[in-house]
Amino acid sequence: MALTNSAQRYGLGPQLLHWLVVLLLALQFLLAELADELPDGLEKLAMLSRHKSVGITILGLAALRVAWRLLDRPPPLPAAMPGWQRIAAHFSHWALYALLFAMPLTGWMMSSAANYPVSWFGLVQLPDLVGTSHDLHEALEEVHETLAGALLVLVAVHVLAALKHQFVDRDGLLSRMLPWGGSRD
Amino acid sequence: MGRVARLTLAGAALACLASGPAAAEPAWQLEPAASRLGFSATQAGAVFEGRFTRFQAEIRFDEADLASSRFEVTVDTASADTGEARRDEILTGPDFFWAEQYPTAVFEATEFTRAGNAYLARGTLILRGVSKPVPVRFRFERSAEGGAGLVGSTRLRRLDFGVGQGEWTSTEWVGDEVEVDFELRLSR
Repeated sequence: MALTNSAQRYGLGPQLLHWLVVLLLALQFLLAELADELPDGLEKLAMLSRHKSVGITILGLAALRVAWRLLDRPPPLPAAMPGWQRIAAHFSHWALYALLFAMPLTGWMMSSAANYPVSWFGLVQLPDLVGTSHDLHEALEEVHETLAGALLVLVAVHVLAALKHQFVDRDGLLSRMLPWGGSRD
Repeated sequence: MGRVARLTLAGAALACLASGPAAAEPAWQLEPAASRLGFSATQAGAVFEGRFTRFQAEIRFDEADLASSRFEVTVDTASADTGEARRDEILTGPDFFWAEQYPTAVFEATEFTRAGNAYLARGTLILRGVSKPVPVRFRFERSAEGGAGLVGSTRLRRLDFGVGQGEWTSTEWVGDEVEVDFELRLSR
């Protein structure tokens, strides 16, 4: 199947990016939870460092996804879809994209504010986004956690909507994002 | 300068003269507010900086008389500051500096050589009860106002001094190499 989008379905490129981000997001929530439960120490440092590296990876993939979205027209929404659902779909998609940037960026800023410069898997050290500040770190931690909650809610809405289209409306929307859902090509 | 202070200085100078090889010049006065003693270490492959907020330095240094020059720097290990309280707690705790047991780290040097436009002090660092030779490269520049600046750095391996016990002996997430850098403002 094609790497790029067609009028009927997403290409292999956007599909791969979509599901890779899904996997990495699940890993992010897991790493954050594990780190949260650990006492201050080496294991916590290791867990948070992995969380940061995966976060920076997601940031890169998010940039790639938005670029792809802007350059390669996605398949149109089903013609039968009511107007309010179109608006909701566009809003939630762009809100999800926005969070794919906001989550890693607030995490990166948090790290900078605590004077824990971020490195990507120990290979590249990233510049600090803000100066060291205890208060700023505390505030950013709040924002990071609130955004994580918002992301969970949006993901839930996104998944429920996709399932409704697939199993209630039966308009084949979900299969457009599945590599093996190519029968409609 | 008051009469008493002058007499005290004279007394101190006499005492120095009396106690063996004379220092050519009196010791410099450290200006703590304008001086900095920092370090940089790595966590998860990223370099971060910290500093010691409390330290004293007895500096006798004369470019023309290296033989009688002498450094003695005493660092309050509990004053390690990396800008993050939980890390500072671990750093000053028993696994790292163990400030409760070893409240000070001391660097002493009496051997100085010229190295290009800089100098090399071959001294000894006593840290966490471990004494090791440590060479320190520095530049010494006199200012027009009669003061001087002492700027330099050295590289240490924290594990040479037992800084990092237990799980922290691993260098996978916290690097062994630490750079120590200083910028001291001195006056008479």
